[in-house]
Amino acid sequence: METSFRKIDIDKYDEDVLNDEDLYDADPRDPAMVLEEAKQRQVAVRSSLAKNDTAGALAVILDSPPYGPNTEQAKEITLSTLLTILNSTKTTEITPVIKSLSQDAQDTLMKYIYKGMAMPGWGDISGSVLLGWHEKLTEVTGVGSIVRAMTDRRIV
Amino acid sequence: MSPEVFSLSQTPITAHAFSADRKDIAVSLNSNDVQLYTRKGSDWTPTETLSEHDKLITSIDWAPVSNRIVTASQDRNAYVWTETTDAETGKLIWKPTLVLLRINRAATHVRWSPLENKFAVASGARAIAVCSFDEESNWWVAKHLKKPIRSTVLSVEWHPNNVLLAAGSADMKARVFSGYIKEVDERPAPSVWGSKLPFNTICGEYSSPAGGWVHAVGFSPSGDALAFASHDSSITIVYPGGPAIYTIRSPSLPLVTLAWTSEESIVAAGHDCKPLVYAGSEQGWQEVGTLDDSSSSRASEGSRSGFGSSSSVGRLKAGAFATFRDADSRGQSSLSGTATGLSDTKLNTIHQNTILSVRPYEVQGGYVTKVSTSAVDGTLVIWDTNEVSALAGKMGGVRI
Repeated sequence: METSFRKIDIDKYDEDVLNDEDLYDADPRDPAMVLEEAKQRQVAVRSSLAKNDTAGALAVILDSPPYGPNTEQAKEITLSTLLTILNSTKTTEITPVIKSLSQDAQDTLMKYIYKGMAMPGWGDISGSVLLGWHEKLTEVTGVGSIVRAMTDRRIV
Repeated sequence: MSPEVFSLSQTPITAHAFSADRKDIAVSLNSNDVQLYTRKGSDWTPTETLSEHDKLITSIDWAPVSNRIVTASQDRNAYVWTETTDAETGKLIWKPTLVLLRINRAATHVRWSPLENKFAVASGARAIAVCSFDEESNWWVAKHLKKPIRSTVLSVEWHPNNVLLAAGSADMKARVFSGYIKEVDERPAPSVWGSKLPFNTICGEYSSPAGGWVHAVGFSPSGDALAFASHDSSITIVYPGGPAIYTIRSPSLPLVTLAWTSEESIVAAGHDCKPLVYAGSEQGWQEVGTLDDSSSSRASEGSRSGFGSSSSVGRLKAGAFATFRDADSRGQSSLSGTATGLSDTKLNTIHQNTILSVRPYEVQGGYVTKVSTSAVDGTLVIWDTNEVSALAGKMGGVRI
């Protein structure tokens, strides 16, 4: 996804340029491994969902998500898997499910909700679901989680 | 005792520093000048203006023993101000001495070392200038801490041993450096941070948990623990001896300043406009409450528009939502001076805007019993650190 606001590369005139990659610790897994993992998780999530275990499925998908360069496909798979979970959860179940997650997982969930809303076209399909989850999640975590989703350079 | 509140100006207070006897205060009112005030009863009267900088003053520190003020500014300079008798008039005046900082970006933060023979200036030039006095030339010279800083340094704080220096930076890291200068320092005793400490030794490097700028750093009174607050709404306490690292993710807006009040407690404040209290030990840390008891009379004056009391997110029928709806459908503006419109914009905290600085004000028996805060609303407040009220039940106000 194109997110940079500056279209001209002025950094090539700066000897001591600070790259995006310098601002976070790189993922120790290599991209192929991450992709493989994302696919395995997709399967694991389906079987959890078949057993009606929404909390379990979310915990699986939100654990060490793919970030960093060269993992576009893994990111996409993870997001679409996550959306299937969000879409298939009953409204009354949302808050207890969110409360069962770890703080890390809650923050990651917030990142995916924003990513889902930012994807062109995706908002039309699952916009209301994402907004519903966003509301419930903010009730549990406070605005702190939104702040963390905005600051974190480990973009999912 | 309820907090003492002083409204100093209509402009933000960028930085503040008290004299040793707490009778004088130096503030930067978001301008190029340092304004000095003297306390007269329950009021502060302006006394002197120190003008030498030609850009915004970002930080001020007042050395308690040697009675010198150091100021840092966006004009890339720092000055040390000494109170001397003017030869002609016989009056006491503050005389500036230029510091050769040799940085090409703004100076962002300045702090005297505990022995007051050095100070550190953080800057946007990806460097910290550690300054000491050169007797021969009669000026202050700087040595630079550069590696491995990757971005603007936002805050610095000295270890009680006068050698180690903590720095928080916009590259999402808090670091502990050695600021040892052989001309002025004695060899420091070994500590949890290390034993051999030549200049620019990195004794610790810690990332903020979710990639936020590190706004504030601070050593505990013993110097054996480090705390830092970052823009990802979190505060982290590090025990290098353990090693143990505790991170508290806050449900509210980020903290930008902090001060240790004892070995087991920290007061921190920021965009939520109220000082929070954290307590813990090497076994763990937690938030225990706030110094701003918002349940008092102010609470009845109404809450922050759209944020305060509404318990349900997304259904902001009151406050901001109502304001816009009225403006849209009925052409009513809440600015027209109605009582409700005015009270709607008042926060139920004492400070009405971001708190930029919290500093120890009164120390008794090794404990900081009072802290002072200054904020964007131009208000200076002195708080009793024992007056902690629990946040429980008031969180509704914090979490949107």
